[in-house]
Amino acid sequence: MFRNLLELYQYRALLWALSMRELKARYRASVLGFLWTFLNPTLSMAVYGLVFGFIMSSSQERYPFYLLSGLLPWICFSTSVLGGTTSISDRKDLLTKVRFPAQVLPAYVVLTNVLNLVFSLPLLFLLAAVYGDAPSWHVVLVPVLLALQSLFTLAVTYLLSALNVAFRDLQHIIANVMQLAFFLTPVLWPLKDLDGKRFGLELSGAELQQLVVLLNPMAALTEAWRDVLFRHQTPAWQPLAGVVAVTFVVLWFSAAVFERRREEFAELV
Amino acid sequence: MSGLDAIVLERVSKHFKKRSKRNEMTTLKSEVVRILKGQRKVVEPAQHIEALKGVDLRVPRGATMGIVGRNGSGKSTLLKLVTGIYAPTSGTVAVNGRISALLELGAGFHPDFTGRENILINGIILGMSRAEVKERVAEIVDFAELGDFIDEPVRTYSSGMFMRLAFSVATHVDPDILIIDEILSVGDEHFQRKSSAKMNEFRQSGKTILFVTHDLSRIETWCDSAVWIDGGRTRMVGDPRQVVTAYRQAVSAAEAEGERLGHSALSTPGLALPQVSAPPVEAVAPAVQLVDVRLRDGLGAHPSAFSAEGALEVLVDVQLAAAARCDVSVEVATVAGVSLFKTQFAAGELGGGAHTLRLSLPRLGLGEGAHVVTATAWSGALPPQAQSKTLVVAPHPSAFGLLRPEHAWSLEPRGDIAPAPAPRAPEATA
Repeated sequence: MFRNLLELYQYRALLWALSMRELKARYRASVLGFLWTFLNPTLSMAVYGLVFGFIMSSSQERYPFYLLSGLLPWICFSTSVLGGTTSISDRKDLLTKVRFPAQVLPAYVVLTNVLNLVFSLPLLFLLAAVYGDAPSWHVVLVPVLLALQSLFTLAVTYLLSALNVAFRDLQHIIANVMQLAFFLTPVLWPLKDLDGKRFGLELSGAELQQLVVLLNPMAALTEAWRDVLFRHQTPAWQPLAGVVAVTFVVLWFSAAVFERRREEFAELV
Repeated sequence: MSGLDAIVLERVSKHFKKRSKRNEMTTLKSEVVRILKGQRKVVEPAQHIEALKGVDLRVPRGATMGIVGRNGSGKSTLLKLVTGIYAPTSGTVAVNGRISALLELGAGFHPDFTGRENILINGIILGMSRAEVKERVAEIVDFAELGDFIDEPVRTYSSGMFMRLAFSVATHVDPDILIIDEILSVGDEHFQRKSSAKMNEFRQSGKTILFVTHDLSRIETWCDSAVWIDGGRTRMVGDPRQVVTAYRQAVSAAEAEGERLGHSALSTPGLALPQVSAPPVEAVAPAVQLVDVRLRDGLGAHPSAFSAEGALEVLVDVQLAAAARCDVSVEVATVAGVSLFKTQFAAGELGGGAHTLRLSLPRLGLGEGAHVVTATAWSGALPPQAQSKTLVVAPHPSAFGLLRPEHAWSLEPRGDIAPAPAPRAPEATA
């Protein structure tokens, strides 16, 4: 695992150049260009806001602000995972024609989306200002959350990209699983509304909420992002410690799978 | 590993898993049908394609080695193993130095980006650091000669322009070892000459070059040694002229067999070529042994390129075990095999021992480029022996085509349609 990350560091020039190019390429041919970085999440927020905030009238106050503070990290995670899954299987041109470090491919997809998240954060501060809200000192924790989420995403993406080379059905499965995961993560709905009684469980609301955060690292991360950006409070450290533990286990496992399979990439893509 | 070898392959094998049986892919549908029919899953022995079957190869540092062989014989697999794209199934591949592979040009080019932007990313992909690329951008742009197009998106390029840019980046990596797969014929006439000069520069600066080409004359003229890969094995390693000659003979033999039997090793990709019936050593010792074919100009020198206006002498060295009849022929053909000229000579009864037969052409009269000179010697009805040499003819600024007969230009007075005057002295320029 550490060797893999170390190699990634050695190829940082390549990683950086590919990410920069991807960011530039994403909107190059379009008229509005870089503005789409802000327009895309804004439009998503408008759609979800209309359905869940207005039509279904969520109990959450300042719903659009609440929504966007969870939506931006989620978009980063889901585009990384979806793009990362096919990042190796789609790059026959690079893998079979030059000696190319395969782990750079999923890594640059993640890096590109993390940078995109950073660039879209001003949008959130703008929306906060509309609600008369100013960022608190808690924003210094943003880099910590970015690093945590990047590593967790990288771990998931490593595994999926390596498996998708030999098993191409995975990319379609993942597309659907990610949709389910989106609704199981408290992005659209407030976590505090969750109550075990409604599901016939012998759990109090707080216990069920803890369980969700424990089982779904993205739920823990989403709540942490909300604490920092929306509620202006320090996130509880226990769920984040859980995320760190899960990340290391998954990263260790993914890196092992990746290392075992990387020799066959050039032959199978 | 010896410090003198840039590349060492030891008993290298490479197997590929066969992904499907003929006409029978495993799909969900076929699996469901199989289960419904209650059939057991047929456990077959793993199907493998053996691309390489135990290859040993050493490329000394600073040497230029050419690889010849049929399509599907394993040449490209070999290059990919050396480059590190594939890992060997068994055996070891050791590489001593920074390697740059020109297996395909333009890896990672993005169509929406300008030529200049693509240089940076392509350079980094090929193993340069960002600083190195920045340092060489001007040089690369100069070499590609794309003018203002360098700042246009690559998708607007013609394929020739695309290749020129890609070739320029690839050759400016400054590697210790250069791996090339059939890409030297990039661009137009002018650019091809430039890329040839660039390759020569690489050779002279002591870089190791390993390259695959079907241009056999290039192997003969450029390489210090050559290796013939046939059916996944090294069939011959050594002097490029000898290897190329043996390879040509085997291909001709396979073609002859194909004509006789209606099929040959050539109709199955990757199959090894038949053994050329080596001169039967004891049983039917050939009466005439063809020892060597030498090409000389009028001064007795062996230039790398001959002048079309100068003389050519073909010296055929034969060895006779005992007194025998001896017939010799010499044929000049294009690299593609089109016969330009063939002449035969019955030397009559010769005594035992070494003899040299000389064919003199006072004026060569061929167009520029590489030609193949094949000498054949035989005695009576016994099987003939042949050897080929590459004859390179130097270019001429104002004459083109395969042939260059004696000719002269003149300006005729108007209306005067007199019979052409006697030809003047042939052009002295050459």
